[in-house]
Amino acid sequence: MSGPLLLLAFVALVTAILVGVRSSRWWLALTVTGAVAGLIASLTVLLGATDWEWRSELTLGGELIHLRLDGVSALFLALLSVVGGTGGVYAREYWSEQHYPASAPRGRAWWSALVLCMGLVLVSSNGLHFLIGWELFTVCAYFLITLDRRRREVRAAGWLYLAASHAGTVCLFAFFSTLAARTGSWELGPMREQAGLAPLFWLALTGFGVKAGVFPLHVWLPSAHASAPSHVSAILSGVAIKMGLYGIVRFSGWLPVPAAAGWVVIGLGATSALLGIAFALAQNDFKRLLAYCSVENVGVILIGVGAALLAEANGDAPWGRLALAGALLHVWNHGAFKALLFFSAGAVLHATGTREMSKLGGLWRTMPWTAGLFALGAVAVSGLPPLNGFVSEWLVYLGLFDAVTGRGPAAWAAMPAAIMLAMTGALAMASFAKAGAMIFLGAPRTKPAAHAHECGPGMRGPMLVLAGLCVLIGLSPVLFWPAVARAVASWRPAWAAAEAPAPLAMLGSVHVVLAVLMVAAAVWLWRKAHANSVRRGLTWDCGYARPTVRMQYTSASFAGIATGWFRWLLQPERTLRRPRGLFPTEAIRLERVPETVLEKLLGPVSVAVMQVSAAARRLQHGRLQSYVVYVVAGLMALGVLVLLGGAP
Amino acid sequence: MNETLNLLIGLAMGLNLLALGSSRLPSLIQAMSFQGMLLGLMPLIMEHEHLDWRLGLIALATIAGKGVVIPTLLRRAMRAANIDREIEPFIGFVPSLLLGAAGTIAAVALSQALPLLPEHAGLLLVPGAIASVLTGFVLLIGRAEAISQVCGYLILENGIYLFGLLLIRSTPLVVESGILLDVTVGVFVIGIIVDRIQRAFDSLDTRKLTALRE
Repeated sequence: MSGPLLLLAFVALVTAILVGVRSSRWWLALTVTGAVAGLIASLTVLLGATDWEWRSELTLGGELIHLRLDGVSALFLALLSVVGGTGGVYAREYWSEQHYPASAPRGRAWWSALVLCMGLVLVSSNGLHFLIGWELFTVCAYFLITLDRRRREVRAAGWLYLAASHAGTVCLFAFFSTLAARTGSWELGPMREQAGLAPLFWLALTGFGVKAGVFPLHVWLPSAHASAPSHVSAILSGVAIKMGLYGIVRFSGWLPVPAAAGWVVIGLGATSALLGIAFALAQNDFKRLLAYCSVENVGVILIGVGAALLAEANGDAPWGRLALAGALLHVWNHGAFKALLFFSAGAVLHATGTREMSKLGGLWRTMPWTAGLFALGAVAVSGLPPLNGFVSEWLVYLGLFDAVTGRGPAAWAAMPAAIMLAMTGALAMASFAKAGAMIFLGAPRTKPAAHAHECGPGMRGPMLVLAGLCVLIGLSPVLFWPAVARAVASWRPAWAAAEAPAPLAMLGSVHVVLAVLMVAAAVWLWRKAHANSVRRGLTWDCGYARPTVRMQYTSASFAGIATGWFRWLLQPERTLRRPRGLFPTEAIRLERVPETVLEKLLGPVSVAVMQVSAAARRLQHGRLQSYVVYVVAGLMALGVLVLLGGAP
Repeated sequence: MNETLNLLIGLAMGLNLLALGSSRLPSLIQAMSFQGMLLGLMPLIMEHEHLDWRLGLIALATIAGKGVVIPTLLRRAMRAANIDREIEPFIGFVPSLLLGAAGTIAAVALSQALPLLPEHAGLLLVPGAIASVLTGFVLLIGRAEAISQVCGYLILENGIYLFGLLLIRSTPLVVESGILLDVTVGVFVIGIIVDRIQRAFDSLDTRKLTALRE
């Protein structure tokens, strides 16, 4: 049943690319059709028992086409379908023809192309085709990021993304071609018995890690997510970086891994999670904050994957499958709530035209829907009950705690990871408290913020769908367990578990009770506030008679204490002019957090590389005489070499 | 016979030094053409015991090509470009002479160390060849005018020809004439390029060609 549906999705998306330039209505219908077909196909595989596999006689690039949809790829395909479909609906109003007459048609076609290419990567079971799909999807994403290419920062972000992606793709080329050379064919599939392939895992980890935005490799991520249109940021963060994780999960499942893999992955995950959220906390641009938060969530997922690898190395310990299930569920969860958050960020940007939190404020009065949905997403991303973020992080925690109590060597990785995960959760909550408070609470800081307007139904609908998904996963995680268990089983057939762990069902009922209590409390508060004609003031009015806008917290001061702990890492640049004299005129205190890894680490390195290259380029000056000198010198050197080599 | 041949090669080596030391282009071309004629005579002397039409043809073609045709072409190019001396060489005339002399001595010393066939051991062919190649290199590196560089290239080629004489019995005529044809065509092409450079830049100074890079 999956086959015809995937064919339908393929045809619909190809047609959508072709008609997308002309008609937005047809494009939307076709894209949504494709997404729904893809979703049903992947759910069929996830809830059924068999994989879908198709070997064709057709060749592409000299290789027979071989497609496969198993538990792991179906899990990611379902996420792609959901975000691809809702993003399409959202884009039609957000990046509409009348606002962007030049780039809207282009954006529609590239959107369908991106969804199609990511789908091809997910189903292809041939190394060469995987690479082709991977490159195509990278290029599609580049054109989507640079839709608004008149702005310099957008072009710069696009180039950075393209350069970083290609640096990663180099590793993937090396990975796939070495794999093909060792196995004698480009065919992919389970080959865990060939122990000699284990070192290739490091290549895959680097190549896919760049795309996933693992901490030191995340340099492209903040600027690309911030500068791209919001629906593109949503699919980048929700799905595109998950493709990197898909690669890591896929090939750690199919290929043998080195003994140290679990340790390295869990370490990378913990670092990404903690440092990513530390950077998020310090941002003033709310889309950059969300982007860094994606680095954090990738870290959370990698902690789960790393724990699974560790468990496997320690004799198939049962806690591994819990951690892996948590990680895979978090793939879905992060896709859902991060897309929701980027959609609501897009609504704010649409209404006010700025991404700087220090220019916003008080938007909950004018944009109640967006404020509510953002708050819901923020609760989910902070991993608070009763929403979905808590469920998946809780599964990862369960796995880590079991590892700690198991007292094996793995405990030494699991304990710090659990502690860092807890710190990450707290910091995430601080970040989103800051973002929510800066954007939606208090008084508007600038005129555009005061004149904001609520987004239309075309943008609100997709947000509601995603919010519904977040609530549904939170309230009844048992419903989603079979799908995740199926993916775990196709990662390791030995780990197939039929039953949901008992605590999960209990967690669902606790969440339902909690949600009911919270709704009741909210209703009670609402009625009380309205019945007694309570006077409403600003959020931080603090009892002043005439509070002004400038008395509010700023985004830097709100997070000041927490960012102070990470000053060694963030290296904030400060401008401070103290008030002087008896009648001080003006005092300034500015703080900017740079892209530390990019500006302090990669910047100097690339400057040095450029200098060396420029020096080497001086050899190529066009003076014939010196070229002859090179030839003579080369000959002489060869002669000396022969003489010294003791020619017969 | 060896004495005559060594005398000719010695003369050719002397002409190398003359070419290095002369600032006027006509005398450079003269030295080169005279060297070419000497080279043309050499096969006749080496194989004077069994002369045949083949050797005669080689000698004649070499003398005509290296001694007459190419120098004439170069003189014409020189007149067309209205240039007759090298004004600003990269390596001055005295330093290039010294370099050439050092190169000649080094070539003689080197050829003592080379494992040569016994019948070639008493000949100056190998040191002459190496010295000419080095002279060609010095001219190519040290001179700025395009015509001087062509001369350097031709002297370098003369060195290769000298080396080729070691194999005169085993090199087929076709290869020999092929090399000669190559050189002649090369000079034709260079003559055309010189003309173009002259028209485009109003000078034959190759330093100005750096503007063409990339």
